[in-house]
Amino acid sequence: MRTVDTFPPGVADIVGSLKNLRIIIFMALSDLRARYKRSVLGPFWVTLSTAAGSAGLGFLWSRLMHMDAHTFVPSLTAGLILWQYMSQLIVESTTIFSRQASIIRNLNLPVSIHPLQLLLRHLINFAHNAPVFIVVAFILKLPFSWTMLWALPGLLILTLNLVWIALLFSMLGARFRDLEYLIASIMPLMMFISPVFYRPNYLKVSAKIIWMNPFSHFIEIVRYPLLGEIPPLFVIEVNVALLVFGSIFTLWLFNKKRTRIPFWI
Amino acid sequence: MAHLIFDNVTIQYPIYNNRSMSLKNQLVRISTGGLIEKEAGNVQIVTALKNVTFNAKEGDRIGLVGHNGAGKSTLLRTMAGIYVPTHGSVDRVGRVSTVLEMGAGMDPELSGYENITRMGVLSGMSLNEVRKRVSDIEEFTQLGDFLQIPVRTYSTGMATRLMFAVATSSQPDILLVDEVFGTGDAEFQNRARERMEALIQSVGVFVFASHDHDLVRGYCNRFFKLEHGNVLEISVDDI
Repeated sequence: MRTVDTFPPGVADIVGSLKNLRIIIFMALSDLRARYKRSVLGPFWVTLSTAAGSAGLGFLWSRLMHMDAHTFVPSLTAGLILWQYMSQLIVESTTIFSRQASIIRNLNLPVSIHPLQLLLRHLINFAHNAPVFIVVAFILKLPFSWTMLWALPGLLILTLNLVWIALLFSMLGARFRDLEYLIASIMPLMMFISPVFYRPNYLKVSAKIIWMNPFSHFIEIVRYPLLGEIPPLFVIEVNVALLVFGSIFTLWLFNKKRTRIPFWI
Repeated sequence: MAHLIFDNVTIQYPIYNNRSMSLKNQLVRISTGGLIEKEAGNVQIVTALKNVTFNAKEGDRIGLVGHNGAGKSTLLRTMAGIYVPTHGSVDRVGRVSTVLEMGAGMDPELSGYENITRMGVLSGMSLNEVRKRVSDIEEFTQLGDFLQIPVRTYSTGMATRLMFAVATSSQPDILLVDEVFGTGDAEFQNRARERMEALIQSVGVFVFASHDHDLVRGYCNRFFKLEHGNVLEISVDDI
């Protein structure tokens, strides 16, 4: 095995990660196993807490906002599940490099395996949450339509966006230790100006602010189809634009700073 | 054929000021009347290796000696490819295995067996390869049923055994070892030494950093002395 630097360091790192998919999958499963080692329900705690959250909030908010529970609760459940997926990933990615410091400082492995395994882990958590929506949809007799399947490509675009977001925030978090706390305090705010609790068209005044928040677009590209509608074109456009520009920017920064990361942690 | 060629390698890294640093600088600034002002808040650059050049070929057993902070660990990490030179180039041919810090890749919540797999996979083995080596690791560590319980319950010595066994169970071309087998009882140390010696015979290039000069003399045939990031090749009598 000869180490030749034909690629810029960041690209070489990502290529290395893709060659080590085996390690990424193993690490994600091994970390999940370690986390739920002594719990009876294991990852299904996530399912349970999401179910409890959407039942409680759904009941409360549909009363408070005088909404019909049949339309409000499925929308809220989908919003909560997607929000958890994104926010937990982003908050955790700010500390992933320092938490995996012993691996980074001792083994010659691509560093991008760490944000990628984190993403995979949260995708697995997401898969544990997704059934809650299906159950809610059944209970509230949400009409099934084939449009709902558009949620899958939507989820793919969201997840690809989360790839660059996870890598970007793990890099920034390794360099700027305050980022962890900053993100943790900003995320609740982002939740309030994103359509987790309501749809953008519920409140006409705030729609503009909500659509300024990229998370709104990430949520809606999956949620519109889940509720039986094709997402508006601009939501798809914003998602694709974020994917392209976000990936280019992150790759540029990663190329510049890849070799510095072991010194930051 | 494994080899390791360093050409004029320099490693520099920045130390970023944390809050206490800048506060201290602020105080110094007051007392010195602005002399150090320019430095306050600036990034400090540490030069850990300076223009290091050497050529290690198949059969070389290199011992690294030097004081704490002389750059031994940095040199080992640069050899492994973990640190990338600021200037100069490293040419490395061969599969590298490292025994640098104890506990790298171990998860205390997982059992001994699960950690064997985890560390094995991280160091590039397939699950099948790991499975083949488990019995050898079981035998060497002599941890018995302890391998079934979480590593967090292990004593330091037991964790060292496990770590050392896994790290030395692969067959690398280049083996880089930082002084690690200091812990453990006398019996374990003897067995660790035997295992180490057998492994050293089988690898292409071996690099070993230690403060135990007798050990270095026993294992190595070339000797590098590190001082403030400079590397000087010395003869066996000068250690």
